[in-house]
Amino acid sequence: MTRHTDDDGSAEESSEDDRGNGRGRGEPAPGVPEAGRDEQPSIFVPDDGEVPESDAVGARDSEAAAGGDDAAARAATDGGVESATGGTDSTDLDPDAYDPVDVFPGGDLDLREGADSCYKCTSCDTSCPVAEVDDEFPGPKFQGPEQWRLKRKGDHDIDESITSCSNCMRCDDACPSSVPLSQMHNEARGQFVERQMEKLSVEYIRNRLLANYRTSARLASMFPRTASFAMNFGPARWAMEKVMGIPKERDFPEFATETFREWWKARGGAKVENPDKRVAYFHGCYSNYNTPEVGKAMVRVYEHFGYEVMVPPQKCSGTPMFANGMLDDARRHAETNVENLVEAIGEGADVIASCTSCSMSLRQEYPELFDLHGIEDLAEHTFEAMEYLRIHEDLEGELDAAGGPDEERELAYHAPCHARNQGLARQAVETFRDVDGVTVEDVGDSCSGISGTYGWKEEKYEKSMEIGEEMFEHMEDAEGDVGMTECPTCAMQMEHGTGYEIEHPLQLLEDSLGA
Amino acid sequence: MDRQVDVVVVGGGSTGCGVVRDLARRGLDTVLVEKGNLTHGTTGRMHGLLHSGGRYAVSDQKSAEECIEENMVLRDIAAHCVEETGGLFVKRPEDSEEYFQEKLEGCRACDIPAEVIDGEEARRREPYLARDVEKAIALPDGAVDPFRLCVSNAADAREHGARIETHAPVTDVLVEDGEVVGVEIEHETGPGKRVHREPGTTEEIRARHVVNATGAWAGNIGEMAGVDVEVRPSKGVMTVMNTRQVDTVINRCRPKGDADIIVPHETACILGTTDEEVDDPEDYPEEDWEVDLMIETLSELVPALEDARTLRSFWGVRPLYEPPGTGTEDPTDITRDYFLLDHGDRDDLPGMTTIVGGKLTTYRMMAESISDHVCETLGHEATCDTADAPLPGSENPARMEELMDEFGLRSPVARRSGQRLGSRADDVLDEYDPNPIVCNCESVTRAEVQDAVDEAGSDLNAVRLRTRASMGNCQGGFCTHRIASELAQEYPEPVVRDAEDELYQERWKGQRHALWGEQLSQAMLNHMLHATTMNRDGDPANLDESVDFDAFDAGAGSPDASGSGSDEAGSTGTAAADGGRATGDASADGGRATGDATADGGR
Ligand SMILES: Cc1cc2nc3c(=O)[nH]c(=O)nc-3n(C[C@H](O)[C@H](O)[C@H](O)COP(=O)(O)OP(=O)(O)OC[C@H]3O[C@@H](n4cnc5c(N)ncnc54)[C@H](O)[C@@H]3O)c2cc1C
Ligand code: SF4
Ligand code: SF4
Repeated sequence: MTRHTDDDGSAEESSEDDRGNGRGRGEPAPGVPEAGRDEQPSIFVPDDGEVPESDAVGARDSEAAAGGDDAAARAATDGGVESATGGTDSTDLDPDAYDPVDVFPGGDLDLREGADSCYKCTSCDTSCPVAEVDDEFPGPKFQGPEQWRLKRKGDHDIDESITSCSNCMRCDDACPSSVPLSQMHNEARGQFVERQMEKLSVEYIRNRLLANYRTSARLASMFPRTASFAMNFGPARWAMEKVMGIPKERDFPEFATETFREWWKARGGAKVENPDKRVAYFHGCYSNYNTPEVGKAMVRVYEHFGYEVMVPPQKCSGTPMFANGMLDDARRHAETNVENLVEAIGEGADVIASCTSCSMSLRQEYPELFDLHGIEDLAEHTFEAMEYLRIHEDLEGELDAAGGPDEERELAYHAPCHARNQGLARQAVETFRDVDGVTVEDVGDSCSGISGTYGWKEEKYEKSMEIGEEMFEHMEDAEGDVGMTECPTCAMQMEHGTGYEIEHPLQLLEDSLGA
Repeated sequence: MDRQVDVVVVGGGSTGCGVVRDLARRGLDTVLVEKGNLTHGTTGRMHGLLHSGGRYAVSDQKSAEECIEENMVLRDIAAHCVEETGGLFVKRPEDSEEYFQEKLEGCRACDIPAEVIDGEEARRREPYLARDVEKAIALPDGAVDPFRLCVSNAADAREHGARIETHAPVTDVLVEDGEVVGVEIEHETGPGKRVHREPGTTEEIRARHVVNATGAWAGNIGEMAGVDVEVRPSKGVMTVMNTRQVDTVINRCRPKGDADIIVPHETACILGTTDEEVDDPEDYPEEDWEVDLMIETLSELVPALEDARTLRSFWGVRPLYEPPGTGTEDPTDITRDYFLLDHGDRDDLPGMTTIVGGKLTTYRMMAESISDHVCETLGHEATCDTADAPLPGSENPARMEELMDEFGLRSPVARRSGQRLGSRADDVLDEYDPNPIVCNCESVTRAEVQDAVDEAGSDLNAVRLRTRASMGNCQGGFCTHRIASELAQEYPEPVVRDAEDELYQERWKGQRHALWGEQLSQAMLNHMLHATTMNRDGDPANLDESVDFDAFDAGAGSPDASGSGSDEAGSTGTAAADGGRATGDASADGGRATGDATADGGR
């Protein structure tokens, strides 16, 4: 059986007017904050598999048309609430409950309360890779708790330096006191972009382009060879740097001739059916358009362990949008993602991402920033691909039994900052430690410096390379001359700085298991 | 004998500062004497509410009318001291509907603009309000910064020729031939601005008239002059939250009661208060249950308060007065009105007038009426212009964008500096480049601190009051030393040390009432940092015996260096250097440290 196999479920880009008020969608009645995480039942209740008529709009129609899928076979998964954004009009609210965020005019979050947890220890500042190389950047403590605490209702000005934060989230990890730093940065950046950034400035357009990588990538992948060539071709490059501020040193990633979803469709979807072991794969943009081999590795490895893989319709996880303050864009994409993934969860699946920034986004940033039905459920059910296998399968035993890859492999492994935040920084090294013929060397805990779109901005390029310097050096020192990391943009940076070819741990896993 | 001035005003609270400004502007030669900092008394320990009059609209309509009148005046003349927050009187289901109506009618009767809004609208304006708040009356309450207000009044007075003496308690009232002719003051650290360790002096100031504006302490001055002034001091607690849960003043709409108001103030919210008569305005118990009561009761209005971080608590005493023989039992029933006691009429002791009672909101009006009285007594003809003349700093609003561009300040920093300095912002910020931030929590830059030091000498509490430096999360843990080092150019090291200690202790005092949860962590971190990085738990410079630096400088192994009685070899240099810590300790790390010590000493 083939589930959720459409080209990519993107036909229903939201209408323009919806973009205008972004998170104001489904404006709450005056005085009643939009129902947030405190008010929604956190337990997801799948219903009996009927699709409510009203639900079969937009995406589904176009999906059905494009993918030849049977819309009626899909379960309604939003627990009976009308839409993924629903749940705002509950009348019997718990009088003692309050929603600590949620409340500045215009739908802005009030995160001043987060400053309560900060005791100014400055651990965040000392762990910030940008502050280390950029004297103008005041650092996460200022950006987060201090700036928020100084805010008053009606103050909308956010300091411009927020745009220098790369959103690597190392500060989150460093804080001993659970200050919601990255949430503060994301929200502040969103407010800054919304209110203070010239909407027609080149920087804004460039950032929006970078943030909406998926859109560009989708266009590029229609003509992959031309696109890869054109984007990296001299005059076009020159224009990009001059006009858009995209550094000439960077090569645009190559677009695959066949996207992951195209491959999946051609393959006829899942090869394993198993109602007891289902996972929904969140491939994200990069493994769809640029490195489908990662997605394929995921599918093969999971099928090796007897999982039924689902590939629901999905859009960008939002990571690049958060980093550029494009919260409205991110929210629109989140609506689709949450709706479809929650549906898959209703069918018994857990959600698996192969990109650590995508899993981070679904797990942490989504519930912190948005208020969508089922978003907490999704956060709870999302895992990184290797993490999940390590929890549920005897991965080491299986690797032992498989006896290692055909040829000796030596890899220089970099743990992405976002993997570190999820406690996954050591998993690759640990998993392959005892595998015959595989040496994985950790190149240390520095930041690669690219942080998604950060290193793609001309004015940040030098800083980005300066941050990456330590990692490059350690990679050169390591035995192997193939790099490995979970994060696609870290991979770009690693490749850019060392010329190494870069793999994803899933690919090594596929090799080692002979999957 | 010293020359005679026209008027001595005793007491640097809002009342005294208002009076000295008014008299100086009317052309009288005036001196203000205050025993501590400006605002040392009740004014520095009040709630910060710029009354709309709503609170008194039922019980005391005369006060309510005065409040709304002065509220409007202050928005005008003291714009940089006032935040126009607006206020709400909110009604919970258990609060009386009848009282709500009475309140509303009272407001209307007193010309206080009042509007009834429903619960939903109230929560739209203040989303943290409890969900069961039924409705509210919206009126023009505001927040006022008493420090800035007093400092601006005093600055204006000085510009008009007045002399301002702080840290100068009146020790006696001079009475000659049945008439008050002046006061005797003690300059704790000499006249002029306060510098620690300056020797004290005394001075007699002879004056044609003495104004006793010492609030809750008015009885003491009265006693010095031999007259009875029956002030009934009544204490109230206020609890400071770390962040603002509300941006509007929130009052509970019910007849008088404890813990019924939340005032947003600068970066914080202040919860208050209680009303309990005390015997001595200097010495009364500060009890934990009072703090608990604030948080518990007010979280009925704003549930988020229950879990929010508390920075500190402080108490103030109201200078309530009632004419002899009134005998009101409950202090909450004593009138909030002010009284002008002409001791010539009242006690046959000409030359002195006392002013007590009232509120900060009406300080200017009180000052005007007593100034009228003084002028009449002295036969001086002049009109009062304090209701129209803006205070220094308030002439025109600070221009945020320009501050950011011109002085390279980040936007929240520029905003805060602009709000605090008002129209003085340009002059102050122009002085320093680079201009680093000294206090991060409150975004106070070096220029602002130096500006305050210029006025306040080595008195860092006065600097704090002017700038808000050290009033945020860390309560001075990360900035007292930085603020103190701003003194180092001008003052010798021991003065800087005393100044630092004094500020740090003052910050600690209020935090003692918030030692749970986050603020407890903060206090522990502060302590560890100060102990381990600045050696402040055993600073040799704070020891009585002097440190034998020679022994240290000579390095280990030299004959001078031995003698701290350690058995182990090579440890002695270190022991001397850390100022006589326990020998065991010293020798434990001594072995390793000897080499270091030598190297250091030679540098
Ligand atoms: C808990 C509380 C909350 C309040 N909240 C508000 C509010 O929200 N809004 C409002 O409008 N009002 C409020 N008030 C009232 C207001 O604070 C006072 O009415 C006002 O500050 C009194 O000012 P003052 O100058 O008369 O007295 P003080 O400020 O007490 O000034 C008297 C000064 O005299 C000095 N002094 C004493 N003895 C001597 C001496 N021997 N020599 C020299 N100087 C001496 C003292 O150090 C002191 O600084 C509040 C009061 C309290 C207690
Ligand atoms: S997210 Fe990264 S770049 Fe941004 S403030 Fe935190 S540590 Fe620095
Ligand atoms: S690490 Fe956390 S507690 Fe420490 S200064 Fe940064 S935000 Fe505050």
